[in-house]
Amino acid sequence: MAKRSLSSFCGSPDHAISRRSFLGTVGAFTGGAAGLTALSQPALAAELKKKDKRVIMLWLAGGASQLETFDPKPGRPTGGPFLDIGTSVPGVRICELMPEMAKRLGKTTAIVRSLNTRDGGHGGGAQLMMRGRKDEPNIKYPDLGAMLARELAQADSQVPDYVAIYTESEGRNSAQLTSGFLGARYAPVKLNDKMGLDHVQRPKSISEIDHKERADLRALLSKRFVQGRESSVVNSHNMAYRRVKGLMASDKLFDISKEPQKIRDMYGKTQFGEQVLVARRLVEAGVPFVRVGRAWWDSHGQNFETHQELVPELDHVMSGLLDDLAQRGLLQHTLVITLAEFGRTPNINGSLGRDHFATAWSSSLSGCGINAGAVYGKTDKDGQRVKDGEVGAGELIATIFQALGINHEKEYHIGSRPIPLVNPGIMPIKDVLA
Amino acid sequence: MRMLRWLFSLLLVASSCGLIRAAQPLLPPDRPIHEAIDHYVDARLAREKAKPAAQVDDANLLRRLTLDLAGRIPAVSELDEYTASKTSDKRAELVDRLMKSPEYVDHLAIELNTALTSGDKGNLREYLKTSIADNRRWDQMFRDMLLGDDADPKQKGAIGFVKSRIKDVDQLTIDVSVKFFGINVSCAKCHDHPLVDSWTQHYFYGMKSFFDRTFESGGFLAERETGLVKFKTVDGEELTAKLMFLSGEVIDQPGAKELTSDEKNKFEEKIKALAKQKKPPPPPTFSARRKLVEVALKPGGREMLSKAIVNRLFYQFYGQGLVMPLDQMHSANPPSHPQLLDWLARDFQSHGYDLRRLVRGLVMSQAYSRGSRWLSGERPSAKLFAVGNLRALTPTQYSRSLSLAAADPQQFTGEVKPEELPKRIASAANPGNAGLFEQPGEFFQISAAEALLLSNSDRIEGSYLRGGLVQRLKQIKDRKELIQTAFRSILSRDPSDEEIKLLSKYLGKREDRQEKACQQLVWALMASTEFRFNY
Repeated sequence: MAKRSLSSFCGSPDHAISRRSFLGTVGAFTGGAAGLTALSQPALAAELKKKDKRVIMLWLAGGASQLETFDPKPGRPTGGPFLDIGTSVPGVRICELMPEMAKRLGKTTAIVRSLNTRDGGHGGGAQLMMRGRKDEPNIKYPDLGAMLARELAQADSQVPDYVAIYTESEGRNSAQLTSGFLGARYAPVKLNDKMGLDHVQRPKSISEIDHKERADLRALLSKRFVQGRESSVVNSHNMAYRRVKGLMASDKLFDISKEPQKIRDMYGKTQFGEQVLVARRLVEAGVPFVRVGRAWWDSHGQNFETHQELVPELDHVMSGLLDDLAQRGLLQHTLVITLAEFGRTPNINGSLGRDHFATAWSSSLSGCGINAGAVYGKTDKDGQRVKDGEVGAGELIATIFQALGINHEKEYHIGSRPIPLVNPGIMPIKDVLA
Repeated sequence: MRMLRWLFSLLLVASSCGLIRAAQPLLPPDRPIHEAIDHYVDARLAREKAKPAAQVDDANLLRRLTLDLAGRIPAVSELDEYTASKTSDKRAELVDRLMKSPEYVDHLAIELNTALTSGDKGNLREYLKTSIADNRRWDQMFRDMLLGDDADPKQKGAIGFVKSRIKDVDQLTIDVSVKFFGINVSCAKCHDHPLVDSWTQHYFYGMKSFFDRTFESGGFLAERETGLVKFKTVDGEELTAKLMFLSGEVIDQPGAKELTSDEKNKFEEKIKALAKQKKPPPPPTFSARRKLVEVALKPGGREMLSKAIVNRLFYQFYGQGLVMPLDQMHSANPPSHPQLLDWLARDFQSHGYDLRRLVRGLVMSQAYSRGSRWLSGERPSAKLFAVGNLRALTPTQYSRSLSLAAADPQQFTGEVKPEELPKRIASAANPGNAGLFEQPGEFFQISAAEALLLSNSDRIEGSYLRGGLVQRLKQIKDRKELIQTAFRSILSRDPSDEEIKLLSKYLGKREDRQEKACQQLVWALMASTEFRFNY
């Protein structure tokens, strides 16, 4: 009786050993299997921490249309009113709404046109695309931000590791960003409505010196209590308090009034533009992963009006970001991703809209480790199916890891059970990697 | 005769060496629960030559029991009373007092609600409160939650368990199996279990078959007379599931068939029409869901039901179940103390599935009251119950405890009529800020957001640092007394000499701003790790 790959842990000791280690091909520390609870080998840890890679994800909340961005089908019944334009990559054409990116494509960006991810629900799609896989009954997987926070953050980081910036209509809790079994240490720091962190200002009723000494007192009392009582959850309590000072100091990173007007103009005056500028400031200060959500792309009606408004903004902001990173020498260290829960149907509905579509859609990757100008995968002439190079969420996540120099086969551990960064057998998309 | 005696000695030696263990009968049923727990836990400790941690002192025990049974830390008056009491069975008296209070009902209702709902999937709190207050039998509660009649005030709201999940029958199947039977069959949705021979895909689809005919219409739950669940094996073979319970028992329904979509639609129209008139759907002559409850409560099924709730409550009070994880109760994942689990399940069944009785027994054992600190080398495995586990306070426990700790202790120790005291304490323990904190679950980690909240939030400051305790403290001239008062109110114990020295120094540096100093002292204790956990 053939068995599919097993990924649920049933508590039995045999099942706790991964197939690969059981077959003896992988030792306990190969490939950087730095366990969560086990102490990492110091040499390995040091090597990992040398990484200075950063990620900015532009999350097109609601599902941007691939036909109005990276995979246009002009002249076809599914094509809609917009034309395509040539890019700096011969033979590659994108939607006419993205002239700035078209100019830069050959120097900065690769496109994947062949995503088939099967989940057309906002919640399910968001979870899947952020985690590269669906949760198991017993496992809450960490999302990309949490995993990258773990891989790229400095141990004694004074800045947050994972920041999520959203727009009002996307909402704070949509997409259920999560650090899963990696725990609250790698949970996203979500910004409040005023585009800052919650509770980073010292209360007026307490002086700076008292605030510090009060914290020291708390730490000392707690340290004595914890002796002989250590556990992962107990230790997390004091770890959380140790981060307070640094997070309070990070507050100024969110203030773009400090940026010269010239720079601010590159991103534009819109909320999305300003938020992406904040993202650049954050990664520049060492935050490994920032996700900026722009809502609301879910054009079940008036698809073309919606995209006429949102795509040029994306074009302007994204090209501004790439230019800004490049001129600061940061582009080779920063990966910029565009992604969403899914794409949109080639068929145009009665309200001139496009509906959810996870069968054949696109994502883009720019910067660090990317083979600029590459286009991977093909959809058919109407964009209904993937014709060539079908990939899923796992492949995209694996590709992102590879671009950042992280081994996608590296394993975390829950107890003794190994959990690779992406599910076994998933391979990165070589064509888009430098 | 000599032969017999020789054989007998051999047997004695053999059994004391652990060679003959499996065949030993269970402890007799007339023993109290807590004795059975200690018997089996101590037996394993002895076998493994492991020494357990010492028993906690009075203050620690009082705090642990009050958190576990009343959902808050003790008030100063309770601390004074318990530590001063010289009665020999003061622990039992304390447990009985706590379990008689409305706080016990509220707290257990919240805990069970958390266990039974999946975060956003429905809220059973009101039903659970009523049932726990009545000490409703657990088998009856199971029946209520799967079949419940909203018209009966005793069952009202219980069917929400099914209703809130009916749009996703796969999830309903998994949740019933996990939450009532401690068995996660979701693996078997796609393939046979690799190690548990009997766990084939038929187990998942067998359970699903009991639910697949149920649907919701106009707020009512309706159930079709018949229907079949089909599934595909890994090899692509298409099979039809039978109604099969997790014990392996199959329900034969001769004539069971799949309805055509036409027949299904007709039936749904009929139900919709009735629902429009606010009339409930007629019960089917053969109800698969009813059959499930029937089978589950027969021998074979009811052991599974009993073991699962016993295990879950063991986990709740000890921080470790007899089987871990809670939803992997199967043959390839044996309990840490198999006979104890058997004994407790048997006791539970033979005493009317009495939750109150079980809870009382769980908190009266010596295993429950072991200290949580281990300073002699490697900490023993949690499976041994040699040392107490630390459990993060739930949002409600934390909020209520902060609120009670911030109150003026004189409210409780001053002039109060004894019959008014419990109410006064309960209302001082306000759960208003529970929403600010995260519910602990598996892999729980405390977030930097919580640390920032406690450190900088005006709301926290307003709630806890400007209240009665701080006002009372700033009037105390003697520093040692001040520190003791703070410790007893917040940490429910006396400070050590070192702590008194440390805090005296802190206060001494701030003579020009004593009120602020008191606030900071209170904050440091409230934000400490000790306060954050049940230890």
